[in-house]
Amino acid sequence: MQFFNSGFFWFIEGILLCIVIISFSSWMKEKNIPMPLWKWAAFIIWILFVGFTIAFIGTSFGENEANAAVKGGILFGIISIISGAGLWRLIITGARRA
Amino acid sequence: MAEKDSGNSINRRQFLKASGAASAIAGSAGLAMFGYAAGIDPRSYQGYQSFEGADQNFNREKWTVDEPTYQKVGKGIRPDARTEVIFDRRGYMMRAYKPGCTIDDMNDPLKSYYKENPRDFELDVLGIEEIMPKFRQDSVKYRDQFRLANAFSHAMSAVSPRHDSRPPGEADFPRARRGGTPPEPVSLKDPEMTSKLIKKVSHQFGSTLVGIAKLNPDWVYLHTHRGRGFDVDTPLEVPKHWEYAIAVGVPMSWDSMYANPNYGTSEDAYSRARIIAYRLASFIKQLGYAARPHVPGNSYDIMVPPILVDAGLGEQGRHSVVITPELGCNFRASIVTTNIPMKTDKPIDIGVQDFCSYCMICADNCPSNSITREGRIDVRGYRRWEIDKATCLNFWNSNLGPMGCRLCIASCPYTRKANWLHKTAFKVSLNDPTGLSDKALTSLQKSFYDAPDPQKYYIPSLGGENASYREPPWWLRSEDFIEF
Repeated sequence: MQFFNSGFFWFIEGILLCIVIISFSSWMKEKNIPMPLWKWAAFIIWILFVGFTIAFIGTSFGENEANAAVKGGILFGIISIISGAGLWRLIITGARRA
Repeated sequence: MAEKDSGNSINRRQFLKASGAASAIAGSAGLAMFGYAAGIDPRSYQGYQSFEGADQNFNREKWTVDEPTYQKVGKGIRPDARTEVIFDRRGYMMRAYKPGCTIDDMNDPLKSYYKENPRDFELDVLGIEEIMPKFRQDSVKYRDQFRLANAFSHAMSAVSPRHDSRPPGEADFPRARRGGTPPEPVSLKDPEMTSKLIKKVSHQFGSTLVGIAKLNPDWVYLHTHRGRGFDVDTPLEVPKHWEYAIAVGVPMSWDSMYANPNYGTSEDAYSRARIIAYRLASFIKQLGYAARPHVPGNSYDIMVPPILVDAGLGEQGRHSVVITPELGCNFRASIVTTNIPMKTDKPIDIGVQDFCSYCMICADNCPSNSITREGRIDVRGYRRWEIDKATCLNFWNSNLGPMGCRLCIASCPYTRKANWLHKTAFKVSLNDPTGLSDKALTSLQKSFYDAPDPQKYYIPSLGGENASYREPPWWLRSEDFIEF
């Protein structure tokens, strides 16, 4: 378990995030969807919120707070899905105009 | 060639897509594991068995204030430990008690106190006549369940410094050794450096928190506890050499603390706080200055919480316990009064007074309703929150685990382990001047972190189920280790 609290873990996590962003960027180019800075900012914020939701669930289970994990997971999970859907529509809207 | 390029390009895109999806899944799994590891990490047990002062890691400079967050509203009146400290009063009462007795059957100071506070007489009698017999009855029936918790608590109190019960004029000063003369006070270069030195050695002695204040004489008992070298019936004149108060504090075991009231104990922190105070007093005496430890359980001549506030360690909350930025209220403290010249710390304001005005989680979880839902009141010339100590002790005395309750400590939103989640929440709350995040976080705490119905904390004879705030840690579950 110590690995997940180490600096090396965050190094790996950073590489994975870079791959996700490069992959997303390539996908957007393929679909001819322009990605101005504000869209990237919104996307990164959404990614961070999803990451927070996942880490919150894990931490709550680790603390033996299953109730908090479930309730927090549902609340933050719903927020993630709704905001993700909204963000996707914004991104797609840009594509239609293009 | 063009076809080949096109084919390569498609393959690269497909590869990128697959890599992105795989990375997203792996990254999410990694975050879940990071969270789980943070939740179980023993390093989040802030201050427990830590040395060198690494866990007093809140930057207090930014939050210091000139006046403490309790308010002086009149002439300070020194408390009488014989009647106003519930443990002492109940002790005197138990010696004076006879079935059917009335207030008039008591002697002073109990008689005068009960005349002014007849409800406390009723509650003290209730404690003796009803609570204690029911505790004894259930103790026989259910005690095995709490065998390990009680054993742990007893073990933690097994080591204690030898108590010096001579009066301060003798006990507080350095002693001559081997027929020589007592050490003269050394000439110290700078009070600020001395403070730094005292804090460093306190941490070396095992203290998680340390702060220094000028001793306000209002915090010294007018009549102190027995066994402290004073005639308790003669008003105590504050010795001149009680000029400064050094406050030290250590946390209770985090795991058992969350399993209060039945599995937690104060004894682990009491024992360590006692040892630190005696070591510190010895250190100061070796430099030729006077020093007197005031330690838990009841070997104090002073009230501890306001000194912790004066020394900048925290603020007093609704539950009357001091809340610190590092440990919340999960800690126990000792004080050393001394005349070694030091630079004192300033009190801090981390927003506890506002937070406690609407949070109410401790009041919601208090089974005996001892924590007020009202505002602060004036007590002996100071405005602060005050709990009902008689109902609080009656609940204490009914618990089958190690003595005490500490549910207010376990449920307080400030008492959280030092992992990323709770540290972030604390920082957000601390730096938000609007108070909106405090309210949002309190709502989340109430919604996410459930707790048993307070009635369930009582013993079965009093209508409860011996419940605990959280499940006990595996090493305190007697049923997993002992054949009943």
